Amino acid sequence: MSGPPPPRRSVVLSETVNGITPVLLLFSIFLTLRGHNAPGGGFAGGLVMGSAVILRYLASGPKGVRSLRIDPIALIGAGLALALTVGLTSLAVDGSFLESAIWKFDVPVVGTLKIVSSSLFDIGVHILVVGVVMSVIVAFAEADDEMGGRR
Amino acid sequence: MPAVTFGWLVSQSRAVLDGDTPTVDIDWVPQIALSISLRLDGFGLLMGLLVSGIGVLVLLYSAAYFGRRDDLGRLAGLLVGFAGAMLGIVWADGLLTLFVFWELTSVTSYLLIGFDDTNPTARAAATRAFLVTGAGGLAMLGGFIILTIVGDATTISELVADPPTGTLTDVALVLVLLGAFTKSAQFPFHFWLPGAMAAATPVSAYLHSATMVKAGLVVVARFAPAFAAHGPWRELVVAAGLTSLMVGGVRAMRQQDAKLALAHGTVSQLGFLMVLLGLGTPAATYAGVAMLLAHALFKASLFLSVGVVDHEAGTRDMRRLRGLLRALPWVAASLIVAAASMAAIPPMFGFVAKEKAIDGLLDTDVGAIGTVALVGIVLGSVLTVAYTIRITVGLLGNDAPGVARLPDTDDPATVAHQAPVDPAAVHRPSFGLLAAPALLALLSLVFGLGAGLVGDWLAEAATSLDPGTASKHLVLWPGINEALVISTGIVAAGVALWWFTRAATRTIDAFGSYATTVYDRIYDGLLEGARRTTVATQSGSLPLYLAIVLMTVAASMFAALLTGAADSISNPRFSNSPVEFVTVVVTGLLAVAVVFARTRFAAAVLLGGSGYALAIVYLIQGGPDLAITQFLVETLTIVVFLLVLARLPAEFSPAPAWAPKLVRIAIATAVGVTVAIFALSASESRTRPSVGEDYVALSEPEAGGRNVVNVILVDFRGFDTLGEITVLAVAGAGVVNLVRAARRQQRRKHIEDGTSAADVPDTDSGRQVGVWR
Repeated sequence: MSGPPPPRRSVVLSETVNGITPVLLLFSIFLTLRGHNAPGGGFAGGLVMGSAVILRYLASGPKGVRSLRIDPIALIGAGLALALTVGLTSLAVDGSFLESAIWKFDVPVVGTLKIVSSSLFDIGVHILVVGVVMSVIVAFAEADDEMGGRR
Repeated sequence: MPAVTFGWLVSQSRAVLDGDTPTVDIDWVPQIALSISLRLDGFGLLMGLLVSGIGVLVLLYSAAYFGRRDDLGRLAGLLVGFAGAMLGIVWADGLLTLFVFWELTSVTSYLLIGFDDTNPTARAAATRAFLVTGAGGLAMLGGFIILTIVGDATTISELVADPPTGTLTDVALVLVLLGAFTKSAQFPFHFWLPGAMAAATPVSAYLHSATMVKAGLVVVARFAPAFAAHGPWRELVVAAGLTSLMVGGVRAMRQQDAKLALAHGTVSQLGFLMVLLGLGTPAATYAGVAMLLAHALFKASLFLSVGVVDHEAGTRDMRRLRGLLRALPWVAASLIVAAASMAAIPPMFGFVAKEKAIDGLLDTDVGAIGTVALVGIVLGSVLTVAYTIRITVGLLGNDAPGVARLPDTDDPATVAHQAPVDPAAVHRPSFGLLAAPALLALLSLVFGLGAGLVGDWLAEAATSLDPGTASKHLVLWPGINEALVISTGIVAAGVALWWFTRAATRTIDAFGSYATTVYDRIYDGLLEGARRTTVATQSGSLPLYLAIVLMTVAASMFAALLTGAADSISNPRFSNSPVEFVTVVVTGLLAVAVVFARTRFAAAVLLGGSGYALAIVYLIQGGPDLAITQFLVETLTIVVFLLVLARLPAEFSPAPAWAPKLVRIAIATAVGVTVAIFALSASESRTRPSVGEDYVALSEPEAGGRNVVNVILVDFRGFDTLGEITVLAVAGAGVVNLVRAARRQQRRKHIEDGTSAADVPDTDSGRQVGVWR
């Protein structure tokens, strides 16, 4: 961790990252969704997912991030758009910005499923935060390319 | 969309004419009493019908005018967006609602004028229009805020029902008028409007003749009945209106470009309307409303007709056009009808309206100023008649073109460009192009013939501005009276003026606008000033910035403490538990250690350790959400820190010369101590019960969440969160774009240096880079 991503990658690191990434992704989604009732939330969830991207960058360098084929700006825009849509929809429906709507479903076996519209807002925050973290990583990856085209 | 709006308005018209006023109130940000309040009254209905009706016609016309173009969708989107904002203005009752829509029209207008974004003239004109109307809008906002406070009312209807008085009100009214004058292109802010003719014809016809420039008039019309007698209102309105009437009229006589001539004519006509609607007497207001309708119909029609001429003959230069009467008979017909309405020839609606205006002014008893207004309007109308004939004859007539007098040039391209248009080579316009101007011209005629009926509708519309207009009506032929004698005189004088100046105006060159020069000076001066300020304040030294920011924070907190909060610190609790005590000490020690670290790497790690320890403090204090976030942010910060440090020298760079060690220690201590004392006193000086309990109580029933912190973020204070994530989004986008810009620059340098393609970073990494492009 002390230097730039070295030209020769550590196999241990990249294998560990491969193993841990799915767990991180799941955990980040879990964090976001549970946020309404327990510690967590879109911001924390987004940061966890963002750290998965960072790990990938550390393990396999700019190539690792680039191969994701995701434009951070698109993520940021999508997240902001989702949050804004939720807000405006509730403005139109309830007459107040971000007034939560609550839907309850009875799902067999699992029990009662409660969906709150503001969870969608949180998901928007989540996506946006991932985008912002990614934009920073992209900055590093681009800088790597400048410095001798390491990949 | 505008068609649906038009239909809906027609369906509502019965109810509105019966005196019903549908209103909508949407709480937007209730904390600052900001709400979107709209109302549909008679005047709003009339304006709404105009905006949506002409909108439909302009959109249909645009489709024919532009043919197949890739960016037609963008144009249509902007036009519809503009129409929506304009409807907002005419229906707004809340002052702030009005302001929001007002600015929205400025923005859409900016985008529409500068639609051809490869053309520097269009861009400059767009910026000019935006800055002028934007500055006016800000003045108006200031006026609205004063009125809200003085009048203790947030809507126009409340204000008008119970108008405040006093010096502050006068100041506010002047500010509101400034806004209205800029938007409606009144002297001395008129210069942006001719520039705005850089926009495509449908846009000019819609925004800059029929609708947007009416926004200022709408505001004036809504305020005038209640405020006209106050302070400087009437004087200002009449002065600005009459000056615009004359200046616009004279300039319209000098233009060779038919569209520009019409634009100056619009400035002139808007001045006329400004006087009528601003006087605030029932008779003048009623005439103003009638004239507003007449103007929207004939001016939009004229613009669209000139657009057809431009489209089919390839020029709008009146010196080059002739023989169009035969070549474009339908265009000629609608042009003549609309022009007749503009010149107030019976039986056009323009005649009926102007008759009413003169009648209304004769009828109005507001002292000397009424006489001044009447004389001014008569003189202005003479000019109107003259330039109307000039434009019509210039476009359609057969007399010898003034080409010979054009500046001599040897450049064959220029000569070809200036050659007269051959009538036989003029294309035949499609039905789509003809329909809109013809229909509008036809309405000018039909409304004139049906003046009695239209007059009754207009009386309903005007009643919502001023109840005194209820008894007013329009007639096509009032019999021989004072007003008719005056109108006849006006037409005769106008024809004479045109006849005697026609040779001169055929060759004259339009002179530049002095006001534009003044504007350009101010604009350049502002840019230069901004550049100097930036150079003076932005030294680029990060330590200096940091020192300034920190000292400001410390100073403001210190000031707050001095003003009385400090004595409220009473026996603060030292520690809640041993664990907390230890953690806090560790946090502090790590922070101190950062200062003594010799390498950047060590400092970053120690700082991170301090942050983690702080997260534990949060956890102990019962804030798991905060702890999680702190922990995650700290982790990411360290990683990013290290990634950056990898690219920097390991050792710290020497401290800047202006800050020796003692100064740095002093700043750090001052900030630390002030913040600590402030935090202690702030937690003790609570004067109201905590909102926390309410939030906890409401969280589950209201928002369906048991995690109060999260519910606050996404529900109770969701608006704040939205603002925060927007900042985050801007920051993220900024990072990406900075990197890309730097990259582009590098590549350009590579190309300029003649470096081989292989050295250019992204060419060898192939299409994958494209993902970030």
